[in-house]
Amino acid sequence: MTGRFLEVACFELRYYLRRVSTWIYFGIFFAVAFFFMNALGGAWESVTIPVGGSDGNVKVNSPYVVSVLTGVLGVFGVLVTAALLGNSVYRDFETGIHTLFFTSPVSRFSYLGGRFTGALVVAAVVFASIPLGLLVGSVMPYLDADRLGPFRLMVFVQPYLVLVLPNLLFTGAIFFALAAVTRQMLPNHVGGVMLLVAYLLSSNLTQDLENERVAALLDPFGLDALSLVTKYWTPVERNALLPQLEGMLLWNRLLWIGVGLGIFAVCYARFRFSHVAPEWTRRKRAAEPELVVRPAHARPARLALPEARRSFGFGAHLQQYLSMTRRSFRGIVANRYFAAIVGAGLLFLVIGATEMGKMYGTSTWPVTYQVLEILSGFFALFMLIVITFYAGELVWRERDVRLSQVHDATPVPTWVPFASKLTALALVVAVLQAVILLAGMLTQAAKGYTRFEPRLYVETLFGLQLADYLLLCALVMLVQVLVNNKYLGHLLVVLYFVFSMFMDQFGLEHRLYRYGSDAGYQYSDMNRHGPYLAPFLWFKLYWAGWALLFAVLSNLFWVRGEETGAAWRARIARLRFRRPALMATGVAVLLVLGLGGFIFYNTNVLNDYRTGKDRERTAAAYERLYKRFEGIPQPRVVGVRVAVDIFPERRDVDVRGTYRLRNKTRVPIDSLHLRIPREVEIRRLALSRPAIRVLSDRGRGYHIYRLAAPLQPGDSLRLEFDLALDSKGFENRVDNLEVVENGTFFNSGALPSLGYDPNAEIPDDNTRKKHGLRPKERMPRVDDPRGPMNTYISRDADWVDFEATISTSPDQIAIAPGYLQREWTRNGRRYFHYRMDAPILNFYSFLSARYAVRKDRWRGPDGREVSIEVYHHPGHPYNVDRMIYAVKKSLDYFTRSFGPYQHRQVRILEFPRYASFAQSFPNTIPYSEAIGFIARVADEDDIDYPFYVTAHEVAHQWWAHQVIGGNVQGSTLMAETLSQYSALMVMEKEYGRAQMRKFLEYELDNYLTGRTTERKKEMPLLLVENQPYIHYNKGSVVMYALRDHIGEERLNAALARYLRDKRFQEPPYTSSVEFLGYLREATPDSLQYVLTDMFERITLYDNRAKAAASRRLPDGRYEVVLDVEAQKFVADSLGNERPVPMRDLVDVGVFGAAPKGKDREEGPVLYLAKHRIGAGPQRIRVVVPRPPASAGVDPYHKLVDRHGDDNVVEVKDGGD
Amino acid sequence: MELRISHLSKTYANGVRALDDVSLAIPQGMFGLLGPNGAGKSTLMRTLATLQEPDSGSVTLGDVDVLRDKDAVRRTLGYLPQEFGVYPKVTAEELLDHFAVLKGITGRRERKETVKALLEQTNLYEVRKKKLGGFSGGMRQRFGIAVALLGNPRLIIVDEPTAGLDPAERVRFLNLLSELGENAVVILSTHIVEDVSELCQRMAIIDRGRILLEAEPLSAIESVQGKVWKKIIDREEVPAYEAEHRMISTRLFAGRTVIHVHSAERPDPTFDPVDASLEDVYFITMAGLHAHEVSLSGAEAAS
Repeated sequence: MTGRFLEVACFELRYYLRRVSTWIYFGIFFAVAFFFMNALGGAWESVTIPVGGSDGNVKVNSPYVVSVLTGVLGVFGVLVTAALLGNSVYRDFETGIHTLFFTSPVSRFSYLGGRFTGALVVAAVVFASIPLGLLVGSVMPYLDADRLGPFRLMVFVQPYLVLVLPNLLFTGAIFFALAAVTRQMLPNHVGGVMLLVAYLLSSNLTQDLENERVAALLDPFGLDALSLVTKYWTPVERNALLPQLEGMLLWNRLLWIGVGLGIFAVCYARFRFSHVAPEWTRRKRAAEPELVVRPAHARPARLALPEARRSFGFGAHLQQYLSMTRRSFRGIVANRYFAAIVGAGLLFLVIGATEMGKMYGTSTWPVTYQVLEILSGFFALFMLIVITFYAGELVWRERDVRLSQVHDATPVPTWVPFASKLTALALVVAVLQAVILLAGMLTQAAKGYTRFEPRLYVETLFGLQLADYLLLCALVMLVQVLVNNKYLGHLLVVLYFVFSMFMDQFGLEHRLYRYGSDAGYQYSDMNRHGPYLAPFLWFKLYWAGWALLFAVLSNLFWVRGEETGAAWRARIARLRFRRPALMATGVAVLLVLGLGGFIFYNTNVLNDYRTGKDRERTAAAYERLYKRFEGIPQPRVVGVRVAVDIFPERRDVDVRGTYRLRNKTRVPIDSLHLRIPREVEIRRLALSRPAIRVLSDRGRGYHIYRLAAPLQPGDSLRLEFDLALDSKGFENRVDNLEVVENGTFFNSGALPSLGYDPNAEIPDDNTRKKHGLRPKERMPRVDDPRGPMNTYISRDADWVDFEATISTSPDQIAIAPGYLQREWTRNGRRYFHYRMDAPILNFYSFLSARYAVRKDRWRGPDGREVSIEVYHHPGHPYNVDRMIYAVKKSLDYFTRSFGPYQHRQVRILEFPRYASFAQSFPNTIPYSEAIGFIARVADEDDIDYPFYVTAHEVAHQWWAHQVIGGNVQGSTLMAETLSQYSALMVMEKEYGRAQMRKFLEYELDNYLTGRTTERKKEMPLLLVENQPYIHYNKGSVVMYALRDHIGEERLNAALARYLRDKRFQEPPYTSSVEFLGYLREATPDSLQYVLTDMFERITLYDNRAKAAASRRLPDGRYEVVLDVEAQKFVADSLGNERPVPMRDLVDVGVFGAAPKGKDREEGPVLYLAKHRIGAGPQRIRVVVPRPPASAGVDPYHKLVDRHGDDNVVEVKDGGD
Repeated sequence: MELRISHLSKTYANGVRALDDVSLAIPQGMFGLLGPNGAGKSTLMRTLATLQEPDSGSVTLGDVDVLRDKDAVRRTLGYLPQEFGVYPKVTAEELLDHFAVLKGITGRRERKETVKALLEQTNLYEVRKKKLGGFSGGMRQRFGIAVALLGNPRLIIVDEPTAGLDPAERVRFLNLLSELGENAVVILSTHIVEDVSELCQRMAIIDRGRILLEAEPLSAIESVQGKVWKKIIDREEVPAYEAEHRMISTRLFAGRTVIHVHSAERPDPTFDPVDASLEDVYFITMAGLHAHEVSLSGAEAAS
């Protein structure tokens, strides 16, 4: 028995190892793996593909990067698994040889088991190409040695064992079993699609922290589980640790191998050595009765056929085309496997819809664009598979059923079969798009949203997207026709997808040579299709020319008859290249050249086409040429007066203005250095004192004027400018999203600034190296003496007077900082005049849109009134009241706790979702439609992030617009961290501590994941270098914990004191070190260590509760004995940890039974107090009044702990 | 109308010489192409059916250049390949209707009539609503005929049509073919000698890509009449006889071996004369015994 098993297995092995396709698969995967490793390793100067932080501190041959690469490439390997394992038994049925095997004395076990084992071994050999390719790729001598760590063999072996082999085992089992039992290949493809759905679903679920573990289980390929296990790995850990089969990764592997074996077992039981496939359902058998045929001699004596009129003209061809289209289309659609694919897609859509647009676990209103984006975005991958797969099926349809000879000999022109198949494919795509439409509307209805926008659905699904898919169909069909091998065709198409994803990295950025591409697209409720639409259509038309060319090529090479050799096909193609083909080619070439020329004119002549490399070169040259001027004495801007004319329809802006400049230095200044962005057209630049222009480098945006007489200390001069920000034609990539038809938003960055701008330098060290530049510090050191002479957002001004006149179209409202002085209409344009009554930072914005306005006012305890205005898109009324309420609550808390508000007004202005942030300008808060305007805070548990964002931005009116740090490390602490803390406090007052815990869980998670991808150095909070995961996320956690330690009153008093001392200060500006002094002053000696740990160091804890038992005391109370273990670590900038002594105050909590579905620490608090906890194991005893359910250490995760889930344990009832 | 094949040659990429300077003249009526498996029959048939390209040579049908003007050929062509399948989920009527459109029968009513008539002729009318997946081999074959007959073809090419048919179906099928032969060029390839002898006015024998014989079956039989002898012997004796005589075939009969030998004279009195059949012609030709002689007479008959 085993002998036969082995014989079958070896036969299978030999069979596949002799086949060329096996080695082609091997070669392809080897090549791709090799290529990726080379690209990561810097083999090509122009190619940078970051994977898992490999562009920063993580080495390209680190276990982490290799694991991710191996895992992802392994997913693509499913294609090969399906082909190898599926064909293993299927080919017997296909060739009809199965009857020979079934009648031989081979047992079912030996036959199936042997085949399976043999094919599995072959697949394992094929996939060994992945680690092999990576390995060989990583030892190439030409790689950048800085990006490589030491070579370790296990780095390549481990992921293969942990990820690839288990995936192979279970996907292989599924594919093998499906094909063996159904005796068809189609179920295999459906099975593959289902796996993909599971993968997509799980990665979709990870957006919500609560679903993370479910998602990790659900992903059949183990990638989500891998990323969960390695989630908080710092660069050091990524470089050192091998992913082990443990935790969720182990469970995931076990689960899916179990699923695979289960399916295999069911199929094994079902498999019969019978000639025809066993029926899966009884019903079907009844539907196919034996055919009854009249005996042969009952035939009429004479052959009499009606003489039918036949036609062979174009009309007939059209009819043939329609008939074939119908047949092909129905052949696909009227099939239960298609139904299964659609079903899987729908399932995916429904689940995907529940996770819509989540931020902090809170979802959004299902506005149409978002539903469309999510549904069709995730469906896109699905669609690619459907197109790839069915293109192959269609091209091979006749040949697969061996009807091609009959078909090919009919008097049908060759274009008919091709055209009808292409059409059928397009129809299938259209059907799926209709499914999306239906699913979208149902989702909206189910969520109680009834503002249906059928037109937008149709425009998007059947206009924009369908155009994309049609182009793709033409290409995929061409590949299938040319390659003339279904599976190789599939693989090539997939390779094409992968390649096209990375084209940008190769410097192939121009959209003219990326098939099917466009200049970008994003829908905005405010600005609809906006500036994207016109270029989109032009580009698609251009590509349609190519598609036509592809169609002609497909026609010429369409296999008709038995000649499939390349030479013959070329010869036949030459014969077919006659008038109609020639004419179609002519039309296509005209389209391509004409439209290509037109597009080129737009992108490269009207606009300034520049690749990423070009930009880098400019930045490098800028630095090399002008760095020497950095820090030379320059006058400072003290007054700004501008007139801005916005023309929304033309997307043009004219800016005229005057800066008042004063020499605040103690030396005379002989020349003026100006920076003006290259995109801005300079119409006039003039100084109020005689000067000559000595340099005007528009390309790099550097201009120098020499004053005839130096500007003496204390003296002033005026700079007048007339600038235009015009949009001309369209760009290669729609870049100008600031000036748009509805929702213009641009800031002072477009205006001239003074002096050399170090922010224009290349920030990335790897890139700098390529251009021969030395590594660059992210920010000046905190003790850099020049740093405090500027704020961290401006290098040419302190506080300025501001006044603006701004005009726009009559149906729009235009806004700039300041108070509205006057509004009027002239020449069909609407004018607004704004003026600030107090000096502001030299940082302002201009907006214009068709707004609905909601006004309210807030009265302070001193009777002072602040008017609140929200300018919003009329379709987005949902959270306007919530925002106004948040403004009021914020003003309450901030004026009471920190000090007075410097303005009389707070304005919130919605702008299109081309950017998704809110930003505080003086009395003006532009706020993206993407964050908050459509949030749906449905129940009490949801985090009200519109409220939070609003509070944060209002807080900036204090933290940044009153007190601002110098241009050194740590300054964003006083702006962002303090705004974050302020918002947290307002939120806590409104929503309570339980909500804060949930919010801080996200903050902690974001901090811990943020530090894993740090490209340079993780800094302690005190020295933060504008690193969002530190100043926002860690900042929240730290400040909240500090509040817990020293109390809200005392902390706020320190903040108020600091604010009072530093507000509106002139240079030198304050620093985080100074700020920490105020905190130290307010903190008792016993807690000074907290400040050191939280601000000056990177401190992490590993606290865990080991066990807890309770005993009922005679007085009816309960004693809880809690065993805990604790350790404190200090990490360096790369994540190297070192344990440090610990004697810290840490929360110890005991809780009653938690409500169902909640975490343990959500139960009623029976005990919560800070204990001195030392390093190592220790025992804590507390007495609680009621029966305890759980207990733990730092239950609310106030400390930075990477293993938050082991802090609380169940209390065992130890009796009396 | 006459189909003229001249100097047709074809070598496959793997070096197999499928057609080697084949020349034939095929008039209206039934023409049998006889040869063993792998002789090149199917290659020739597919070439005539516009599905394959020869390396050299030419083919004309009347004044149509078959190799160049494929469209014109396809309009008059009915082709039944040696092996073909069907869409299992489609009914006979639907698929036949579809092919009717492909063959240019665009009028809806006419198409309906044609389809109905063909289904009746091929005895499939009753099962017209049944899915093709449930058809037996014979039914499928008849369906193939129906497809081939759509649009009253003038050139009908049927490749090994009787393989897999039961005897009754075979008879029916051959009858149908012979009727078609009355006003079309019908080329029937087969390796079953009876198919040809029963039906064809003309025939050719092909082996390893070469035409060994082109003749009318009757005159071909005539040409070997009186030259074929038989004897019943034991099996062990076969090699001895083989060495001594020009043996053309052996077969078993009631446990003993019947041998046929080719000889102008009776070899010896133990041999009996045989009433020669086409099968003897075939074996004589295949054995290469006097192909030259016979083909000459065949050529005369053709002119």
